Amino acid sequence: MALEPAAAKREKADRPAVQVPPDKLAALALRLRDEPALAFDLLLDHTAIDWIAENRFELVYVLYSTVHGHYLMLTTSVPRETPVVPTLSAVWPIAHWQEREVYDLMGVQYDDHPDLRRLFLEDEWQGHPLRKDYKDDYMLGLPK
Amino acid sequence: MDTQEYIVNMGPQHPIAHGSLRLVLRLDGETVVEVTPAPGYVHRGIEKMCESLNYRQIIHLTDRMDYLSALMNNWLVSKTVEKAAGIAVNPRIEAIRTLMAELQRLQSHVLWWGVGGMDLGAFTPFLYGFREREIIGTLFEETIGARLTMNYIQPGGLMYDILPDFAKKVKDILAYLKRIIVEYDTLLSGNVILQERLRNIGILDPKKGIALGCTGPVIRASGVPYDLRKLEPYGTYAQAEFDVVVGTRGDCWDRYYVRIEEMRQSIRIIEQLIDNIPEGPHMVTKFGAKIKVPEGIYYGHIETARGVLGVTIVSDGKSDTPYRIHFRSPNFNNLWAVTALAPGWRIADLIAIQSSLDLVIPDIDR
Amino acid sequence: MGLVTDRLPRVVEHIPGGGILITSIDALINWSRRNSLWPLAFGTKCCAIEMLMATGAPHQDLSRFGAEVARQSPRQADFMVVAGAIIKKMAPRVRLLYEQMAEPRYVIATGSCAISGGPFMYNSYTIVRGVDEVVPVDVYVPGCPPRPEAFFYGLMMLQKMIWEGESIARVGRRRKPVMAALPQGIKPEDFRDEVRRLLESENDINVDEAAASKIWLKKVDEWMAKHLLKP
Repeated sequence: MALEPAAAKREKADRPAVQVPPDKLAALALRLRDEPALAFDLLLDHTAIDWIAENRFELVYVLYSTVHGHYLMLTTSVPRETPVVPTLSAVWPIAHWQEREVYDLMGVQYDDHPDLRRLFLEDEWQGHPLRKDYKDDYMLGLPK
Repeated sequence: MDTQEYIVNMGPQHPIAHGSLRLVLRLDGETVVEVTPAPGYVHRGIEKMCESLNYRQIIHLTDRMDYLSALMNNWLVSKTVEKAAGIAVNPRIEAIRTLMAELQRLQSHVLWWGVGGMDLGAFTPFLYGFREREIIGTLFEETIGARLTMNYIQPGGLMYDILPDFAKKVKDILAYLKRIIVEYDTLLSGNVILQERLRNIGILDPKKGIALGCTGPVIRASGVPYDLRKLEPYGTYAQAEFDVVVGTRGDCWDRYYVRIEEMRQSIRIIEQLIDNIPEGPHMVTKFGAKIKVPEGIYYGHIETARGVLGVTIVSDGKSDTPYRIHFRSPNFNNLWAVTALAPGWRIADLIAIQSSLDLVIPDIDR
Repeated sequence: MGLVTDRLPRVVEHIPGGGILITSIDALINWSRRNSLWPLAFGTKCCAIEMLMATGAPHQDLSRFGAEVARQSPRQADFMVVAGAIIKKMAPRVRLLYEQMAEPRYVIATGSCAISGGPFMYNSYTIVRGVDEVVPVDVYVPGCPPRPEAFFYGLMMLQKMIWEGESIARVGRRRKPVMAALPQGIKPEDFRDEVRRLLESENDINVDEAAASKIWLKKVDEWMAKHLLKP
């Protein structure tokens, strides 16, 4: 928190969690990785949550430092109509792969991503399945 | 002589695909220039399915991701839900969970050894590996009822209690397995052809491995002692004394031998814990009671046989189904390392690298 | 082989006593086929560990049935064990593998994912509910995953079907022994019509027609036309 004035503590998480606006994300990520006291070198997980009632996507990055052994959960919120965030694949190479998955299933766009295309689903698939308003004639719901 | 690069598809149905993995190779003769994995042939949408099931019902779906560490997957979701909902389990449950997880790790590594030998051309290790797998599987079947997809470790305890002669049977199995690992070393590890095929192939630099998100035996073979059983002990791992097996060079041989040594360490852990299972009930919550998790984001992880499996559970506090659940799968992150390791080697070396990464494809696709 | 199946029946049926020759040749051919069925090593998921790998292993031995030679190429295989969930992206490939197999070819659907979609039947957006929407299935082996012994029972039923139901006089047609066991609370009147339909339709199956009348076939043809048969 001392590093980044725009960051706010995120409540209701079980690990230290910080919330930042998306335009500060790329610079903060570089500092998190490079500062010797922090040294977050392992990006464990990256995922997205569809808060449809609040009309936003929340992107979650779970970071770990193998040097110091501490965790950080970094979250950022983008509006649902235009979900655009900068890519972090230059900072942590594994983010390339994880961001493709989030793009495929949630539809979040990443600026300057080297290869943003669908990962699991076919290239011609319409829609992003993990969104809450995804409609599909093919899916079968549980019978009452 | 003019040469040309060509693109070859190692398609979903392939002897070493371990499932249905598609790799698109760009080759210059027989040397691999670029490998692009194209996963998604077993993508069933487990994360979306979990949003309509309650916290007990998602356990059976976790079995079917990395099915060779099914009990560890179950334990992960149970442990995260219990911590989030504030359910405390008694020491008996923790002890049995730890023992089951270590037996499953042994079973998984034994299968890896068998299938790894088969990938490199030796069919005999396959038969030896599965013989051991059946012996451990019979014990699981007596206790749990299933050989592969267990659905045993639930939030709140275990499905069934262990039988009274569980400790004796496990000790017999351990005595047998100790001899068998020596046999494995004699059969395969000392073989000069295997050593030529694995030594100095696919060297993974530790810093690069961490940046690529590798965990588990893959990163431990490169010299990083990242093992969650030691760093953040869960279950009863704190009561057992064992070493974290770390390699020196990070080539395929190190990844191979780290797993063999891990089998020995697992036997050591089980030996120390098998006689001290405390008494108590095997389930602390009433079976069928609703589990409600308060609002928030929870992240939990566990060390499976292949790496760190993590789960992010997001709950909106209103219902007993998760709002969003995301699995951090070890195989998904380890697969990306093959793009960095393979270029420059021949196709046969690519197969050795792939088999040393020990991937289970449904875990990649979830 | 072609000489025996194409020419011989027509020649022989005019000779009195020629039927005996055909049945003896049938017996020889069916016996040799059913005792050396070579599976195609195609497994997607958890069932592959149990059905393909554990059955080939020492404790439950597949070579007792003559079937341990698992071929990697569909051109060399006799039957395909569909072990695992088939999703929409994989369905055209399964069809392609089926079409590459040389006749006579059989399909065993093992595990509930291959029979009906299994645990992923509800709320999954990619699963194909049963591989019998893509290829014609001869034997269904239920379980999740089935025990290897259950798979052997399915294999023995396939062998019985080959032994009893195929003849060189009717190439491309096979008869299935449809055995039903009555579950609790079901009376015969409830399903009499369905059984009649099943017995009549399964009594004599034209394999090529069955293969051509699958629900998924049109989608698979479109995919193949788009990706494979490009000019």
